[in-house]
Amino acid sequence: MALFLSLKVALAATVVVLPPGILLGLLFARRSFPGKSALETMAYLPLVLPPTAVGYLLLALLARDGPLGSRTLGFDLDILLSWKGAVLASSLMALPLVARTARIAFEGVSPRLESMGRTLGMGPLRVFKEITLPLARRGLLAAGVLGFSRALGEFGATVIVAGNIPGKTQTLALAIFNDLQIGRDEEAQLLVGITAALAFVAVWSVEFLLRRPRSRA
Amino acid sequence: MSDGIKLDLKVPLERFTLELSWETGERWLGIFGHSGAGKTTVLETLAGLRSRATGLIRVFGTTWLDSARGVCLPPEGRGVGYVPQDALLFPHRNVLGNLLAGAWRLPAMENRRPSPERVMEVLELTPLRDADVADLSGGEKQRVALARALCSGPRLLLMDEPFAGLDLPLRRRILPYLLRVQEEFALPTLYVSHDATEMKVLSREVAVLAEGRVLARGRPDEVFLQSSILPMVLEEGFENVQEGTVREAKESGFLLEWEPDLCILVPKGDLKSARKVVFGLRAEDILLALRPPEGLSAQNVLPGVVRGVREELQGGEAAGPVLVSVATGRGGRALVASITRQALSRLALQEGVQVHLVFKAQSCRVLAAR
Repeated sequence: MALFLSLKVALAATVVVLPPGILLGLLFARRSFPGKSALETMAYLPLVLPPTAVGYLLLALLARDGPLGSRTLGFDLDILLSWKGAVLASSLMALPLVARTARIAFEGVSPRLESMGRTLGMGPLRVFKEITLPLARRGLLAAGVLGFSRALGEFGATVIVAGNIPGKTQTLALAIFNDLQIGRDEEAQLLVGITAALAFVAVWSVEFLLRRPRSRA
Repeated sequence: MSDGIKLDLKVPLERFTLELSWETGERWLGIFGHSGAGKTTVLETLAGLRSRATGLIRVFGTTWLDSARGVCLPPEGRGVGYVPQDALLFPHRNVLGNLLAGAWRLPAMENRRPSPERVMEVLELTPLRDADVADLSGGEKQRVALARALCSGPRLLLMDEPFAGLDLPLRRRILPYLLRVQEEFALPTLYVSHDATEMKVLSREVAVLAEGRVLARGRPDEVFLQSSILPMVLEEGFENVQEGTVREAKESGFLLEWEPDLCILVPKGDLKSARKVVFGLRAEDILLALRPPEGLSAQNVLPGVVRGVREELQGGEAAGPVLVSVATGRGGRALVASITRQALSRLALQEGVQVHLVFKAQSCRVLAAR
């Protein structure tokens, strides 16, 4: 049960985090603008902040009287203490990793190849679609897998925003904690085994994706 | 002038500001200069890749840049075929995929876009059609880059020392492809190189660039003889580049019609027949004689009249070899011979003196034939 919930949350979080992550990566790799380093630092903050601090900030944002709370907006976003809260928390925690990996992926694409595309008659959007995106493909896939893995293991922010409700918001990471707390060591071991296997596959595929391909796949 | 090219450019660079004014009706242009002279900058500015460039670019009636009126076409709106020094092939596409990369051109240019099949035929790329670009040799990569530019149907071809990375023999082998492209597609071309021989073969008008400024401009065979330019060329030796119509394919070589009643024998290489031959003849391979020589092993003896003597000056002192330009035959087609200072005074050569040019057929290098 916790496994499926975890997969669902992590997948949803990956879907949520990829567009802004890729956009930020592109921005950081290709543009210079005032306040760039400030924005970059902000985007990377969840990487170093204690997850519980991020969770607290989200909670403050979404609490009834917070800027995005039900009383301020006039309706309830229904995020707190639901699986959507887990998605939100883990995608925010995954954002730095995704943005950073995407940035590196885009930096690996020579701007001169993009210029070449322009001289051949492609507009900027077409260049992005025909040249930048295909050439950064492997790195972006790696960004996705890393984001997924990060979301899968997320604990601190999730427990604050979504709570630890078995069957509803209790993901693998939370379930392990739970089982340990109440002394169900065997269940905990099983769950640890499952997460280890998932993590192994994820890290291995990232290594595979980021290795320089000798020829096209 | 709607059918020509007009440039009036200023591009600030790190070490100097590139300044170029050029108005011409010629279609095959060259920019000659050592590395760091600003040659690539000119091409990138024309391609629209230098945002700091100011001034005017007008190409065959279309204004690409006019900073006074705030006009600046983006690269994709200019219709250039850019062949950079390092080919810059798209690694995620095969050869054909690269050739088709320019298929996004504006429909207005559609009609002059040659088919990829034809381009591959001319550049002998057909067998490589489906090859991965990572597997190509240096020369093949450059040919694919050229083909990609041609397939996009450009108004102006920009070639940036496309063969600088290749060794000399390979470069000479690719030269015929360029001539074939000139003949087949008749595209206006701006060719950048620091190889004077290539420049003489490929361009009708050349600008010599140093430190971002034009030192001289004009027909390549004349420009390269100017005393301010000569030292730049002499490092690699002065080479005459000439074209001749084949009158007869003999056992020993092609007999080229040079001037009326005057023929030159050049080696055949591995060719069986040809209509026209472009050949190079190094200035130091030509001997000068005051009287018609007899009993020679060399097969080519041309009578002529000294038209000019060019001494190279180094720090105000006369040094190195002397270049003697000789008008041959009735038409006065010129060849340049290089002799020592001592020989110059011994023969008392000066303008108007009658001489005979002597050179071996084997000294003529066939650069291209068709």
